[in-house]
Amino acid sequence: MADLGRAALLLSFALVAYALVGGSLAAWKRRRRLAFSAQNALVASFATTLVASIVLWIALWRRDLSFVYVAQHTSRSLPLGYALSAFWGGQEGSLLLWLLILTGYASLAVLLNRRSRELIAWTVPVLGGIAVFFALMLCFVSSPFTTAAAPADGAGMVPSLQNPYMLAHPPMLYLGYVGLTIPFAFAMGALLARRTDERWIVATRRWTLAAWTFLGVGQLLGAHWAYVEIGWGGYYAWDPVENAALMPWLAATAFLHSVMIQEKRGMLKIWNVTLVSLAFCLSVFGTFLTRSGVINSIHSFSQSSLGGWFLGFIVVVTVFSVALIYVRLPLLRTKTKLESLVSREATFLYNNLLLVALALTILWGVVYPLLTQAVNGETRSVSKPYYDFFLHSFGLPLLLLMGIGPLVAWRRASLRALGKTFAVPAAVSVVTGAVLLGLGFGSSPPGLLAYTFSAFVAASIALEFVRGRSATGSLRRLVARNRRRYGGYIVHAAIVLLAIGIAGSSAYQTIRERSLQRGQSMQAAGYTLTYESLETRQLQNAQQTSAVINVSRSGSHVTTLHPGKSWFPVEQSASNDVSIYHDPRSLGDVYTIADGISKNGTLDLKVLVKPLVNLVWAAGFVFVFGSLVAMWPDAVEQRKLADRYAAVPV
Amino acid sequence: MIALSVAAVLAIFIVYTSIAGAGTPEIGPSTVGRHAGEDVLLVGTVVGRVAGDAHAGGMRFLLKDDHGAAATRTRVLYSGSVPDLFRTGRQIVVEGTLRNGTFVAKPGSLVTKCPSKYTPAKSNA
Repeated sequence: MADLGRAALLLSFALVAYALVGGSLAAWKRRRRLAFSAQNALVASFATTLVASIVLWIALWRRDLSFVYVAQHTSRSLPLGYALSAFWGGQEGSLLLWLLILTGYASLAVLLNRRSRELIAWTVPVLGGIAVFFALMLCFVSSPFTTAAAPADGAGMVPSLQNPYMLAHPPMLYLGYVGLTIPFAFAMGALLARRTDERWIVATRRWTLAAWTFLGVGQLLGAHWAYVEIGWGGYYAWDPVENAALMPWLAATAFLHSVMIQEKRGMLKIWNVTLVSLAFCLSVFGTFLTRSGVINSIHSFSQSSLGGWFLGFIVVVTVFSVALIYVRLPLLRTKTKLESLVSREATFLYNNLLLVALALTILWGVVYPLLTQAVNGETRSVSKPYYDFFLHSFGLPLLLLMGIGPLVAWRRASLRALGKTFAVPAAVSVVTGAVLLGLGFGSSPPGLLAYTFSAFVAASIALEFVRGRSATGSLRRLVARNRRRYGGYIVHAAIVLLAIGIAGSSAYQTIRERSLQRGQSMQAAGYTLTYESLETRQLQNAQQTSAVINVSRSGSHVTTLHPGKSWFPVEQSASNDVSIYHDPRSLGDVYTIADGISKNGTLDLKVLVKPLVNLVWAAGFVFVFGSLVAMWPDAVEQRKLADRYAAVPV
Repeated sequence: MIALSVAAVLAIFIVYTSIAGAGTPEIGPSTVGRHAGEDVLLVGTVVGRVAGDAHAGGMRFLLKDDHGAAATRTRVLYSGSVPDLFRTGRQIVVEGTLRNGTFVAKPGSLVTKCPSKYTPAKSNA
């Protein structure tokens, strides 16, 4: 079995190497048949990588402990679902998943764009080159198919990974990370072929959108996982590994906006190729961070031999893209200039600068320990206050811009027209702000600002829908006529929900901690929690002890919560089982953690009351819905594009 | 225009770093003595017995450097939530200040580094 996996991987390596070398030669010498065979090699490499992946999955399924990877990440008592998810629980498997998704995406992108020969001529070798790196790692540096004498039982899986989210969160993130390869490869392909029009953008628009959606959803899933499983009462901690996923998402968000200006006005060509390279480099950097263990993180991965390889790869990719963009600068320059600082283009530009500034300040925070170590030999790190400061100073203006941008005209907007457009949203937000201030929300100025700006954006989105509807007669027709635009507005609405949820649950939360004896109770933000008794249960691979907590509000019973701890004998470790009550009236949560349960039954209970936190998760659903609307095939758009390119020789 | 915006962003950045200082040092027990009275992140491995209750009067333990042969041990006093994975032999990070030879940790700042998460514990099982 392991031999089959190894052979399949070697074949993948040969195929992607052929796609790189053969594809380059074909594009350079303009050989049609060679180009065709390089494309086929890329498609075939997906098949061979799939074979390797199936081998690993079968080994995980059978708990074939002679595979070192299987022995290290599963155990005989581990439930099947988690055993299969161990595919991405370790380094070797994660690399294989990268290669599997990459070759899958690459094949699909090549097959879909086969007719645009010129467009993909240089894209194929770029994709091949990226795949070569991962295949090289898998074949010669970090193979999932190393075998050894089978131990009596495997090492098992860390308890906090034994959660349904383990099945969905990592693959989603990988689908996002790897998805950014496609727009990057098409951009580099276009530059290599000296084509600097917007065809590569049009061809990859949905890819970028899909990758960006996967990254966003993957992150929210991770946040929810941390929230319900890790048990510290939060969902985002500015941990380097969390930041690793946030940075490419921010860069991709900037890219999704700035390409619209290139499509509409032919501007920002240099900026766009730079952004797409940045997004891709950040996604490789994210994988590097997750896998190298160079930076202290609560995700703490062991130091691995891969760090140097990844660093080298990042350097190669960065040097390659910077050099290529530099060489092609004369072709990328545009004559169109920004006409006014008050125009749609300008607001897009502000949005881009803020997003990139946020991504880069986060990057600075992440690498700060490495830099200080290198410069003066002492590691220093930045934490929550640093990130919060920049989230407030860049994030809040971004939120406001989201309400302004869509209402400003292209090219040049008159101030008088602007005043008229903004009258309603401005009034709504001022009233909201004043009412909230009266209710005592001034305790957190950033929170109050976030609420006020959210009201502004929500009003301006609603206004757009109302206006559009009165022009077309029906909401459905309005959206169908311009899916991309209205899908975008729905995503904006999701971001508003997210902002409100984050502000509510962080700026206005209540935290209480107390040691309780049976029968004693404690108060938190209007709720009374009474410790009734202890319960013990035997699970398939763990023993669980939990407290019975009676929750009431103004004298009447609300719910019963069961915070506790589980002990996993195989893994020799414990895990926190938090218990959460979702209050439908406040959209907030009562979050309970059993910090300690002593032998005599004393319970150290921690309670967090987090208002509006459920809006964060609701935002995820709205976000996916909006992205789908924007991604949905659009007949009108296709026809417009066909007309546009009919004139351009292909 | 772009230059102006970049300058503005840079200005915010510089203002921040000059006001808030430049991060918290991350140090091990062998060098923490040089930072007495300062707010630091102490990184090290738990050695010996863990005594006391983190929820009543504080938990006490000794910390040594993760790597190297330095014999220095730092006494840590901690209260607040204790992560599931905390025990003797684990690598941890804790924020606080060295006062009169004892590292007084901020409540709830204890984070464990779990070396067995992605590759099994070979050396510290």
